[in-house]
Amino acid sequence: MNEELDSQLSAMFDDELPSGECELLARRLSRDAALQARWGRYAAIGAAVRGDVRVGSRVAQKVSVAIIAEAQLASTPLPRARRGASTAALLWRGLAGAAVAASVAALSILWLQGGYSSGPGTLVARAPAPAAPAVETRASYVVPRSAEQRMTVPATELANYVVAHSEFSTPVSRRNLLSALMASEPAAVGSSEQSQSLGSVDDPNPHADQAR
Amino acid sequence: MQTKRVSEQLAWLAVALATAASALAQEPRQWLERMNQALTSRNYDGVFSHWQDGRVEMLRIVHRNLNGQVTERLASLDGSGREFIRTGTELTCYLPDKRTVLVETQSGEAGSLLASFPTFDEKSAGFYDIQELLRTRINRRDTRVIAVTPRDEFRYGYRLWIDETTAMPLKTQLCDSHGRIIEQVVFASLTVANHIPDSAFRPEVATDGFQWLRNDPSPVAAGVPNTSALWSALKLPPGFRMTVRSAQVLPGARDPVAHLVFTDGLASVSVFVESRSASVPADQQSISAVASVGSASAFSTVIDGHKVTAVGEVPPATVRFIASSVKRSEAPLAVGSAGH
Repeated sequence: MNEELDSQLSAMFDDELPSGECELLARRLSRDAALQARWGRYAAIGAAVRGDVRVGSRVAQKVSVAIIAEAQLASTPLPRARRGASTAALLWRGLAGAAVAASVAALSILWLQGGYSSGPGTLVARAPAPAAPAVETRASYVVPRSAEQRMTVPATELANYVVAHSEFSTPVSRRNLLSALMASEPAAVGSSEQSQSLGSVDDPNPHADQAR
Repeated sequence: MQTKRVSEQLAWLAVALATAASALAQEPRQWLERMNQALTSRNYDGVFSHWQDGRVEMLRIVHRNLNGQVTERLASLDGSGREFIRTGTELTCYLPDKRTVLVETQSGEAGSLLASFPTFDEKSAGFYDIQELLRTRINRRDTRVIAVTPRDEFRYGYRLWIDETTAMPLKTQLCDSHGRIIEQVVFASLTVANHIPDSAFRPEVATDGFQWLRNDPSPVAAGVPNTSALWSALKLPPGFRMTVRSAQVLPGARDPVAHLVFTDGLASVSVFVESRSASVPADQQSISAVASVGSASAFSTVIDGHKVTAVGEVPPATVRFIASSVKRSEAPLAVGSAGH
């Protein structure tokens, strides 16, 4: 792997790659196994550098899972009679894979940077976007760049702000704020999955998915 | 003569009816006041679930008010081992997963914790509908269900299941302006006690090798300039007013931040302004960001070369509105002014 590609990957992970290059790299990421492995390591390294190995590992795992799933899709042999007709489908699969990788890439970047979203109303750290819709829209595999994409407050600083703010909240809000701060990151993959299953049982908004 | 007596009786009846109606209207608000009083003044030990966005975390809270000195311990029971312990005006956050301990000390007199709550007054009542929905039972206890519904989209609402005997909230829901639940707390067990021993407030975390980050509670006294008087909000969402303006050094930081607090009497928003313009790199001078911690929203932007961050248990649009309205003036403004 040449140094230029290496540096592009690093820039993509740090959200410093121009959107055009990001798009090309995301496409290549979807079909290059070596690059995928490299990406997984970047996720872990980035997390470690930021002092959050646990979350980073989980993100890296998600990226890997997304990429592996796409690789399995792409490697599934197609019936001979459908090959010609499926060229477009294969292309879409490739784009979908890139979409998955890029959307999870964006997610990992934002997560590792303290849960920031790319815009108002799309709080990525709260509700990771499902990969499926990305298949339907061709442009969504490009990691979006906007004025609100870059983090300006580190996670620890944000935690400090929340703690300082809680002193001036009502008793109920204060307790809820501190509780949320405790639960702001999953303790481990296992316990997180357990929590999510508990959440689905105890969801006070049973039709929340429809409402959202 | 008889006509006059009938008129007097009707007048008294009208007064009595008006008084009764007023009492009925005030009762839900009184339940809120009783609840806040109970949460801060009672001694209790409980386990509750915290639901937010599909995730549930079990936590334990132990709270004691001994002659006005508040001690509280909040501990995660789900594996992260995080614990927050408050003693008077000092809050210690044990984060074993980060091998870090944050210690935040509020300046001011002991017991200011209780004095810093927003005050829900007549002005505040204009921005919420407060009503009692029904009486029901939770964990075999009689409760009043009080709904606090916002009248616009700048604030969240609540549904509260308040224990009739102790006034403790056994269940709380935070709702958006459409009534959709965004956060829920339900007590699985709750014991209100006369006395809670000191041992109940000792952390279970072994902190060997942990990084300790403390703040300086009185930066002004230590010779650090207080720039908070230079900052104010030119425009605020309806009902919000500034109640606090101070400077403080946060754990792990060298320089103080200006801290402004805005409240409508129920919801509150803090604005933090970093005092050193050099803290904002040149390539981030025009960049903003949004974030959330639980139901709290945060919005960060750069104003006059200073990083301005608003945090509060309000919708994202409200923190964005307030942070974007913050401006720096040339001459210091009157500290503590709240005329917004």
